[in-house]
Amino acid sequence: MDQTALVARAREAFARRVEPALALTEEAGRVAAACHAMAERFHDGGRLVVFGSGEAATDAQHIAVEFVHPVIVGKRALPAFSLTNDVATITGITAVAGAEEVFAHQLRHLATPRDMALGVSATGNCADVLRALETARELGLLTLALVGGDGGAIRAGGVADHVLAARSHDPRVVKETHVTMYHVLWELVHVFFERPGVLTPKVVT
Amino acid sequence: MSVPDAPDAPDASVESLYPFLYAGPTDLEAVLAAVRRSTAEKAEEIVALRREVLDRDGARIAACARVLADAFASGARLFAFGNGGSATDAQDVAALFLSPGFLPDGSGGGATVPLPAFALTGDVAVVTALSNDVGFEVVFARQLAASGRAGDIALGLSTSGNSRNLVAAFEEAGRRGMTTVGLAGYDGGQMAELGTVDDLFVVPSSSVHRIQEAQTTVYHVLWELTQHALVRHGAPAGSDFS
Repeated sequence: MDQTALVARAREAFARRVEPALALTEEAGRVAAACHAMAERFHDGGRLVVFGSGEAATDAQHIAVEFVHPVIVGKRALPAFSLTNDVATITGITAVAGAEEVFAHQLRHLATPRDMALGVSATGNCADVLRALETARELGLLTLALVGGDGGAIRAGGVADHVLAARSHDPRVVKETHVTMYHVLWELVHVFFERPGVLTPKVVT
Repeated sequence: MSVPDAPDAPDASVESLYPFLYAGPTDLEAVLAAVRRSTAEKAEEIVALRREVLDRDGARIAACARVLADAFASGARLFAFGNGGSATDAQDVAALFLSPGFLPDGSGGGATVPLPAFALTGDVAVVTALSNDVGFEVVFARQLAASGRAGDIALGLSTSGNSRNLVAAFEEAGRRGMTTVGLAGYDGGQMAELGTVDDLFVVPSSSVHRIQEAQTTVYHVLWELTQHALVRHGAPAGSDFS
């Protein structure tokens, strides 16, 4: 493929991203509701537990660092963990209990009912993420999912309290939309913190 | 008799932009509305920023993909590195280049060629050993000194362009005759000033978040075009010639 054809491919690839990014506006109501629910959980001492497979594992780690070490000076650090970091744990659970259990097992033993479980799956069909969200719901955690395409089994199964969808079937475009979504989630959770009167009165200190 | 505006009344246009600043302490609906509006604004910001990146660097991204394809066809391996959120991008780069996969339907579809790629951020033993024994600024540079060969690819991501360990890593990569690719934000910082990066893509923004979102697009498109450019090397779809 020559340079002219590659440049045309570049233009086409960038153009493919415009509509899914703008479609985030249509998710704004769900984004706002998710931020409010997360702010209430953080306010009540809950922790954010994040997970995903493959490239979404890197999103899980990115989300955790976003909350723990804010890029904007003066924003408070909030407790967040990714379940994708510990290779001994991940390979151990996979070998003994199977890959589908890799996040669900950790949630059962590391999470409390006050916490939040956030799963990332570009297709909405990752079996380990689905299993983890089901487990989190059984345990009483707030459940959230970032998905793409038609939302797959995660949306169909109704396993998450808040489902935010990227409107694309290209997993790379879905990931990019997810990055914007979780940056917005982080930033706007803090908006609720700065207006503590809008968090549930019983937990206001 | 008309009543003059109160001198300290909030400006109506500001109030419409940020209603939560003026809302009562329990006005949840006002805050939710502001959050919804903020979400829409950020979507528009990233669309505009990606358009600017394409206008500035579209042709250079295509040319860089050609360079990477030629390097991979000659046996190169790719090493990706970055700190914090950019460390997760480095791991995403490695996973993307290495993994089996498919091009999106909008780009012709078809199986992709898995390419040899490593993230320098994944090995906690190496990262903590170098940090503890020498200093964090040698993390990445020492790993490249140990594993990088002439012709290999060093790809580093930073939002500021000023991370000391990235600057040192690009110097080491250059000494070793590696092909260097950098992604930065703001004005490119030291990564731009020092001239040690062969192909530097600067996302012109001062928002760390928007920079990261646009950088993700840059490396995704770079990968997609590298896959297309490999076709001229006769790599059959799904083959692994590494």
